[in-house]
Amino acid sequence: MPLLPLAGGAIIALVAATFAFPWLEFVLTLAIAKGLAALGVAILLRGGLISIGHAMFFAIGAYATAFAMRDFGITDVFALILISAVISLAAGLLIGVYVVRYRAIFFAMLNLAISMVLFSLLSKFYGVTGGTDGLRVGTPTVLGMVLEAKAVATFLFYASIAAMVLAGFAVNAYFKSPLGEALSAVHTNEIRLEYLGIPVRGVLLIAYGLSALLAGIGGTFAAMTIGHVLPDMAYWTDSGHLVLVAVLGGISGIGGPFVGAVFLELVHTLAAGVTDAWNMIVGTALLGVIFFMPKGLIGFIRPAKKGDAA
Amino acid sequence: MISYRKILCSAVAAAALLVGPALAEEKPAALGVGVFSFTSGGTAAYGKPGRDAAELMIERINAKGGIGGVPLSATYVDEGQGTEGVIAEYRKLAGDAATQVMIAALSSGNCMALAPVSDQMKIPTVGWNCDTHQLYLKDAHPYFFRPNGNTVPEFVAYAAYLIAVKPDVKRIAIINPDYAFGHDAAKIFTSAIKAFKPDVEVVAELFPKLGAGTYQTEISRLTAARPDVIFSNLWGGDLENFVRQASPRGLFRSSQAVLALGESSMQNVQIPEGVIVGVLGDGWWMSPDAAANPETKEFADAYKAKYGKWPVFPAMKMANSFLYVQAAYEKAMAGNGGKWPTREEVAGAMKGSEVKTLTGTMQTRADNDGVVDQIIGVTAKADGHDGPVIGDMVRYKGADLMPPAGEDPIAWIGTLAADLPAKLPQPGSYK
Repeated sequence: MPLLPLAGGAIIALVAATFAFPWLEFVLTLAIAKGLAALGVAILLRGGLISIGHAMFFAIGAYATAFAMRDFGITDVFALILISAVISLAAGLLIGVYVVRYRAIFFAMLNLAISMVLFSLLSKFYGVTGGTDGLRVGTPTVLGMVLEAKAVATFLFYASIAAMVLAGFAVNAYFKSPLGEALSAVHTNEIRLEYLGIPVRGVLLIAYGLSALLAGIGGTFAAMTIGHVLPDMAYWTDSGHLVLVAVLGGISGIGGPFVGAVFLELVHTLAAGVTDAWNMIVGTALLGVIFFMPKGLIGFIRPAKKGDAA
Repeated sequence: MISYRKILCSAVAAAALLVGPALAEEKPAALGVGVFSFTSGGTAAYGKPGRDAAELMIERINAKGGIGGVPLSATYVDEGQGTEGVIAEYRKLAGDAATQVMIAALSSGNCMALAPVSDQMKIPTVGWNCDTHQLYLKDAHPYFFRPNGNTVPEFVAYAAYLIAVKPDVKRIAIINPDYAFGHDAAKIFTSAIKAFKPDVEVVAELFPKLGAGTYQTEISRLTAARPDVIFSNLWGGDLENFVRQASPRGLFRSSQAVLALGESSMQNVQIPEGVIVGVLGDGWWMSPDAAANPETKEFADAYKAKYGKWPVFPAMKMANSFLYVQAAYEKAMAGNGGKWPTREEVAGAMKGSEVKTLTGTMQTRADNDGVVDQIIGVTAKADGHDGPVIGDMVRYKGADLMPPAGEDPIAWIGTLAADLPAKLPQPGSYK
């Protein structure tokens, strides 16, 4: 697979960048966290479903981390990731049972609606969730070791890269499995799939649960990196952001959402550092990609093959 | 045309170049400051005066030779980009040795998120506007200073003032923005009113969302509830829209309004006379203390000349924060024999400091929270000033209204004596 060395090179470039500019460590950890969530959105896009509510699972992962730390005194980074993963997967399956009955605009809108309900709950239950000021997330410990905050930030950066690689391989294997192939087939012709005796809702539910799991893991990385969780994490613009990241990077491969996330975070950071009109620069960059790279950023390196989802 | 100021600046810079190296060799070429405020989105209506004041203060401090001979150089960060972006920018700036102090932030949410980062990166940070009482409630933040004070004294002060001018109040209504600041203020204000006068009834409690734009339904509800008093901590564009829509419907004639952040909007929208307003602290540039300080008058005139408006209280909070930073540097340098101080030494100098500002004093408590006086009054007109002013003023001592460090503030408000408003200075006593 000629793509593997390319991906390896990209990861080495990411690591090298943090040696040249130490402040990039935070930006990139966050970008990878969002990339994980965007990969979740990309899975659903392969099945032809657009979710404009996936930030809710990102927020569920983040708040699960904050609550586990505050209310149960769990500080180990691996335990926190595990707890958030389990909770977001459970939430994904629960919500999934309901929403996978719908397609197209109805699926998108239902996701949006449920995510906004979560957003309201997070902002209104002031005593439990800290309201719009959010909750603080302390510095986690690593396998029982109490490290300095700086060392933990570096650890989280490398851990997020490891999570990205693992997720990449796992999702790649999933796409190649019968379940993953069935997912693409849902997009092409759902009725034919039913006639073949494949339960479409089951296929979609697994995809939905998987995508929620990825978003939740992204959320827990974001919570630990930022050190603070806010209801805004579940707001619909953040969900839109995830779809944008996935489409921007390109959904034809695993790398796309990560490339899109890193690209968007970097453009944002650089633009906001230059001018108050940073929104304009970000917007122009997006228009550029959409007009001139219809396959997304990843289309640059990965020529389109027959059968790729557009 | 070359202005007098420019010549002065160049002269000072030249002098600094000539004299600088001889005095101390380790002084940097510039003192980097990170300044955080809202300059995009609806909240910029309140954030822009803060940013403007920062620019003017830097200009003024540099014209006088900077701090210890070193000119200030600011990097401005827009809080409108969201908390993640703000933290990223903060980390980037703090990682650069050229930045030695931060003035951040306007939003309470951002202050809560930045405080642990300031401790981690060991950079002294001054919270210039954020005022949530949650900030120091659970964790200590040795590098985060908030000399501008917190929500508890700010809103208890309104309750005390209201009881003093309207001792027979029975029915109150509240209309606050729907986020932590609005809910906190509602809780603090009602708890205080109930402590002073237990038979007061809350007849309506409305929380329109931030940036709602139209308030007609809320105004109808308020009119129907027939409250004696309407309390609000709406701010920025929201406050202006509310006043524009409520005035013609007679809301301010049928009820006594308390607009907690009224001063920040009274040059933009016609607030009727007799509305209780204040400045969430002592930052009223025309207060007797401020008027007695020639620096304040100079600053206000320069501000008016540069931006076309008088400095509202967010601008004064920002200006005072610069004086706070300046005082910390001077104290640190006096303490180490005139050498350029490290970040640690500057934070050490801020600890427990008491700084004379343009409008009063900022006193830093042991937990790094600030104690400032609270000025409250009513909107009025004055001869010889082109704009509304505040009349019937009172200046409460900050310490009288501040809960002790570490104590649950809401429970503390419940313990306030009913005769406290009678014991405090009376409305109109500050002139």
